[in-house]
Amino acid sequence: MSTIRRFRAMDLLHFNNVNLDRYTETYDSQFYLSYMSNWPDLFTVAESPAQKLMGYSMGKVEGTDELWHGHVTALTVAPECRRLGLARGLMRGLEDASEKIHDCYFVDLFVRPSNTVAIQMYEHLGYILYRRVIDYYQGDGVMPTEYAHDMRKALPRDKHKKSIVPVKHAVNVEDTFF
Amino acid sequence: MEGRQLRPIYDALELPDTKYAEEECEKLLRKHPNHYGAQSIKAFILARSGRPNEALLLGQSVLNTPSAMASAHVQQGLSLAFRALGRPREEIMVYTAALSFSPNDESLHIKVFKTAARNSMFKEQHHAAIQLSKLSKQQKYVWWLVVSLFLQAKHSKDDVAAPVQLKLAERLVEKAVADGQLTSTEELRVYLDVLDIQDKHEQMTEVMADNSQLAAMISNDPDLVTQRINLFIKVGDYDKAIMAATAALESRDNWADYKLYIEAVATLVGQAVDAEAKHSLVAGISSNFEKWAGVRGKARGAKLAQVALATRMHEAGHGDIAGSPEALIWDYLTEFQQKAICYSDIMQFIVARREPSVLEYHQAQLEQRLPAARDSATNSDDAAQAWVNLEKIRYLLQALMGETDPKAWVADIEPLLKFGLGSSQARKKQPSCSDMAFIASQRIIQAAFLAYSAADQREQLHSALFKALCVLESGIQLNDNSFLLKLYAIRVYLYLSCYERAQTIYDTLRIKHVQLDTLGHLIIGHGMALGCFALDMELCYNGVTFYDRFQSKMPRDIEAVYQQGTYSNVQDFLEFQSNIVHSIQRECTHRYALRGEGFEYGNAKETLARWEEADVSSIEHSEQTLSALHDNRDVSVMGLLTPKDMAQWDLELLTQSTPIPGHDFIRAFSLVPQVMHYLVCADIESLQEKLSELTLVVDNSSCRLSRQDVLFVRGIIDVGSLYIQASDPQNEIDGQLSRLLSVIRTNLPSNELDPSLFSLSSDGIRNLSAATELFTYMLALKHALLAQRLPAANAVGLALSQLRKEALKSVNTLRGWVDKNTRALVEEQWLAENDDDIFADAKRFVVGSQKQTTSMVTKACTTSWLRSVKNLLSQWEKCSS
Repeated sequence: MSTIRRFRAMDLLHFNNVNLDRYTETYDSQFYLSYMSNWPDLFTVAESPAQKLMGYSMGKVEGTDELWHGHVTALTVAPECRRLGLARGLMRGLEDASEKIHDCYFVDLFVRPSNTVAIQMYEHLGYILYRRVIDYYQGDGVMPTEYAHDMRKALPRDKHKKSIVPVKHAVNVEDTFF
Repeated sequence: MEGRQLRPIYDALELPDTKYAEEECEKLLRKHPNHYGAQSIKAFILARSGRPNEALLLGQSVLNTPSAMASAHVQQGLSLAFRALGRPREEIMVYTAALSFSPNDESLHIKVFKTAARNSMFKEQHHAAIQLSKLSKQQKYVWWLVVSLFLQAKHSKDDVAAPVQLKLAERLVEKAVADGQLTSTEELRVYLDVLDIQDKHEQMTEVMADNSQLAAMISNDPDLVTQRINLFIKVGDYDKAIMAATAALESRDNWADYKLYIEAVATLVGQAVDAEAKHSLVAGISSNFEKWAGVRGKARGAKLAQVALATRMHEAGHGDIAGSPEALIWDYLTEFQQKAICYSDIMQFIVARREPSVLEYHQAQLEQRLPAARDSATNSDDAAQAWVNLEKIRYLLQALMGETDPKAWVADIEPLLKFGLGSSQARKKQPSCSDMAFIASQRIIQAAFLAYSAADQREQLHSALFKALCVLESGIQLNDNSFLLKLYAIRVYLYLSCYERAQTIYDTLRIKHVQLDTLGHLIIGHGMALGCFALDMELCYNGVTFYDRFQSKMPRDIEAVYQQGTYSNVQDFLEFQSNIVHSIQRECTHRYALRGEGFEYGNAKETLARWEEADVSSIEHSEQTLSALHDNRDVSVMGLLTPKDMAQWDLELLTQSTPIPGHDFIRAFSLVPQVMHYLVCADIESLQEKLSELTLVVDNSSCRLSRQDVLFVRGIIDVGSLYIQASDPQNEIDGQLSRLLSVIRTNLPSNELDPSLFSLSSDGIRNLSAATELFTYMLALKHALLAQRLPAANAVGLALSQLRKEALKSVNTLRGWVDKNTRALVEEQWLAENDDDIFADAKRFVVGSQKQTTSMVTKACTTSWLRSVKNLLSQWEKCSS
């Protein structure tokens, strides 16, 4: 249980209990602001009854024709707020918006292969490993350089599930641009 | 022709090669002195090269030449120059002047609008929006006008104009609705804001009614659903609020809706005339909560809402009408204690009622459950987490009951340490074990501050904190992802004057971008206080870069909001911009950066040039500018187990090695560079003025500066006074000079006595650092006296030369002592057999089970001290007088 609401710029001043987690990247402020400007309905935060941020999901829509899709840019939950189904709730919200507001064919996301807990959750939510992306994550002294798992879930608009036919070979980062 | 002439300059700017661009400008201006395009671009180049005064002068001279403004090159160059200078009014004047040549140029009006919008110039924004909506039929300009009117009215002090502006905005929206031009929830939010600010809540309910034209938009937007419930409460229609909340909670589990539901019912209960009506209302809401508590995924929210309802009823004087809050708290705990969030959820309700009888009830409940929870903790993750939550409640209850006996805080610490750091679960990185290690460390720290709060007991305090540090580090070694352990480890290392290790741990937290504003205070500035100013400078520059980039980029984000039509962001973005641009941490970071530059060694010419060229006007502060600053520093991240209003149990506060810099720091360290600037420029009158201001700051009884900062600032006051004294050959300076030298000497390590571990870990390095910094400034004084051929120069030079020799000797001795003795001393004194028995269990554990980590912490401390002393020695070696 939490208050689910749109993410606000002022939340950037209070999201440290979420973002100090090692798997959570902190981006330039302008990155978050551009998501708020462009896709406000895909940037959602969960706030606890004690008014602490519990987690957030940040997404966008991109691509053309049958590649028109929702993309999960970030999904993160504060360590003490895990095992509550919060990530699933946030993902469901983002999928709903991708389907009902933006009429997308599928939703995709990237995840570190070492983040096995997250991968299990995505699989449970119906995501499949679509392809692997070579050295998508660059090491920064704390986290290592890693491939990314590009995972996808088809939405009802993709009737023939064409978007989730896996690519067998690993691809380069530039092959993932839409 | 003009474009062709300016091409080489543009090309150089694109490279970017500012120097070459300036040369090209000069070349063109030599041939054509009245080339306004070149002058405009030159103004921009000057603004970007840190020469604001020249840029402004040149820019204004072009702006005062109306005929020049017809050129697109002039418009572009000049607007960029004024933007870089942070002069939006002048930037708008450029566009306005250009509009006199082409009044219907839409792009120019857009520029005026955006410049005004990103600088919160609502009146100008409003006027530009009017022009745009007159020029073009595009609907977005109507919304720009509505938003501008709303903002202008909201921020206006004009009680006559504001209602008129809001009425006009309302009419524009009504027309848009009638024309079918309100098409997004963003526009709907603007509409609601316009009505809300006029207190037209009834009208808002009509707009948001189920059968309204816009109802579908509301149901798809979670925030608007909640706003609608709140609105019914505002208009006093509590029945509708209850209906709307019930409907919302049937389909979702949203805490804000629960709160509003409780509020609506509580108000009706308060208004009800008889007991039956009250009970009926409470029965209705309770039955809903019970129903939802049985729904998968909603149980936590509904159960916590029962606690909130019972607490609210108690607060309103209705007793246990909705059940006993205490009993419901423990029901909640029984059901959800295996969740890590449980403590955070329930803490506010325990804290809400602090009567002794209530606390005793909680204590009894806890005592019943704690032993079993402890015994079964190894059975599963859930059982372990349940014990952790109960331990957190035990901690909270001790604080709420005002427990001041340090022994009580560490009485049962051993099982916590064993589970948190020595169990098989701990080796598997189970999060509950890190939590337990955290609780254990908090208990040791709390006990340490309770036991040794007196000034003469600080030696024992350090010994106890060292044990807490061993616990924190052991936890970090087991689970590198536990940021809470890291945050406190940073704090305690700094408390013990160990900068290097604190900084290494800080690096692993990967704090960057906006976090530099909210978390930068953890480390920025501490390096300078502990002799590691080069490392600190790097962090300061990261911070300065963040703020500079933010300031240049944020305006574009505000423009983007208008471009994308996501108007609900406007106020939030403006507030965010203001919070960062006027942030206390920003000011502190800049002051530290300047302070670090002052500390850097340079020869006489470089030193004098640095102070002479310093732009001291931009760092002046008044009461008004200080009161406009925002404190964005995030201390909530420290995970306090007690409420913020209990200072004696506030470990965030207690573990601060020096006060977190605030207004006094900003004021003092804005004045220090000004003092040095006027001293080097021989401006005695301004120098005297700044010295008086600095004296006022430091003499203020409530001044919140560290002991060493006070020492340094007083030293700077003496440096300034000495200069004034020396400026008149008739005056004697010996007394003043010897006083200053004595301040430095007193804070150098003694040659005669061996320093103690305590003096090193408390004030030793800090005092030496302040003395070294002061010496650097005295060198600048000497250079200034020499450059101005003042007779006192030689006397000061000789005295400094002698002082340097003494300092080199004593600091070198200290270096050798730290290198040779501190490791053994830590083991002898901080881990001694006959140490205080309060911490005997903790010591036995860290020495016995965590030997390797304890040895690592010992090494980290000694290496950090050695690094600080070596850095300071190197500074004395470089600072040749």
